[in-house]
Amino acid sequence: MTAALSAAPPVLQLDRVTRRRAGRVAVQDLNLELAPGQVLGLLGVNGAGKSTTLSMIAGALRPDAGAIRLNGEDFLERPELARRLVGWLPERAPVWPELSVTEHLDAHGRLRGLHGAALREARGAIIERLELQPLARRLAGILSQGQRQRLGLACALLHRPALLVLDEPANALDPVQVGALRELIREQAAAGTAVILSTHVLVEVTAVCDRVAILHEGRLHHDGPVSADDHAALERRFFGIAMQGATPAACAA
Amino acid sequence: MTLLAVFRLELRRLLVQPLAWVLLALGLAWLGWCFTRLLGDFLAGEIQRAAQPDGPGYVDLVAVPLLGQLAQIAFLVVPLLAMSTLAGERRNGTLPLLFAAGVPASRIVLGKYLALLPWLLAWLLLTLAMPLALAHATTPDWGKLAAATLGIALMLAALAALAVAASAFTSHPAIAAVVALLLGLALWTVNLGAQMAGIDGGAINWLAMSTHGQNLLRGLVSTADILWFVLLVAVCLAIATRRLAADKERG
Repeated sequence: MTAALSAAPPVLQLDRVTRRRAGRVAVQDLNLELAPGQVLGLLGVNGAGKSTTLSMIAGALRPDAGAIRLNGEDFLERPELARRLVGWLPERAPVWPELSVTEHLDAHGRLRGLHGAALREARGAIIERLELQPLARRLAGILSQGQRQRLGLACALLHRPALLVLDEPANALDPVQVGALRELIREQAAAGTAVILSTHVLVEVTAVCDRVAILHEGRLHHDGPVSADDHAALERRFFGIAMQGATPAACAA
Repeated sequence: MTLLAVFRLELRRLLVQPLAWVLLALGLAWLGWCFTRLLGDFLAGEIQRAAQPDGPGYVDLVAVPLLGQLAQIAFLVVPLLAMSTLAGERRNGTLPLLFAAGVPASRIVLGKYLALLPWLLAWLLLTLAMPLALAHATTPDWGKLAAATLGIALMLAALAALAVAASAFTSHPAIAAVVALLLGLALWTVNLGAQMAGIDGGAINWLAMSTHGQNLLRGLVSTADILWFVLLVAVCLAIATRRLAADKERG
């Protein structure tokens, strides 16, 4: 967010990252850098490679080629770096349906290396920050999609990661919760956390991001700054890239 | 530490699942009934056995047959208990969460497998408590009982490993349970066809779980039999680990 933070060494570096999925190239030769406190909006149509990219950054998927560095260290050589440095909210926020909200947070905390008093403190703080108190004892399997998103967000933030990876976090959230989510992202960025936000909603990007990257057919087509005043320009640029190769009928629609 | 985290997560999931408690209750109810029946038969034949000082005793006629009953229902219960270990994770979409926490596939598999063992141990101990409750009134053959208990413990551990391996290959727990049940039965009876054909083949007999399990149930403890079960557990967990690691590669 701030110039001082953006000048810091990158938290994340992607160097010619390539990944094939289901027999086709999902991501090709992707280069990206993210400094502490930066918020990067990742845009692209369905199948552009956003979720694949985020899964690789989160450590859930190995790239076929290229390098990913977290705080300058090779992430592929040391996959355990993800444990303490990355917080990930996958698309649709998967949960263990038979566990309660509190048990989820405990399980995620232990998986991320938190124990005892540190875990209890982190859990209490995130429950309070995301206003999850009324849901704390509820089973995850009976939460609404919006509540699951909030639980997923809490799990991603619990261990105070240096890099927060959010895959369509505003899914199923009501307008008030979307506003709270934006506030949370700004707050994290101000505290020095780098954030990647994948979304289909362009307004989300102009509202909270200071950079935008546009993926199309697995390739990076644009990577540059964005501000709240740039909505029309971003829209033109996005549709210009997204409609490449589309039929005239699709463009007209 | 990640192994412990996976172990605790899986143990918690098992404890809050109604299925695990239903299986435990039904299993114990069935075994309780079997125990009553075996005990009745044992008491009914007591006068005849008094004439044979070296004849079968309480352990041979009550405790070991009861453990044999446990082994039989374990072929069904263990796959049902373990079917969701990995298949459930895949169905819920939570497997990537474990990968993203930097937990290697081997620790995911081992943590989940180890979490099944306390439950199975509790089942075995509760079953064993039935004959032991009356042991003070008889003179049990403790060595034979210990060997049979070891045999059943190894069988339960092996069936759990088989079920975890089956669970690693599908996202449908029911399919995992059926596959594990069939594999378990096949492994138990693999030498049956050969025996019926009059072939007492060493290799095929060695392959059968019944060969090693029945030795232990008879009170014969041999390193070869124990190693067979350990080997089966290791092979099953290695297969599950490979499958899970391939999942991460494939995405």
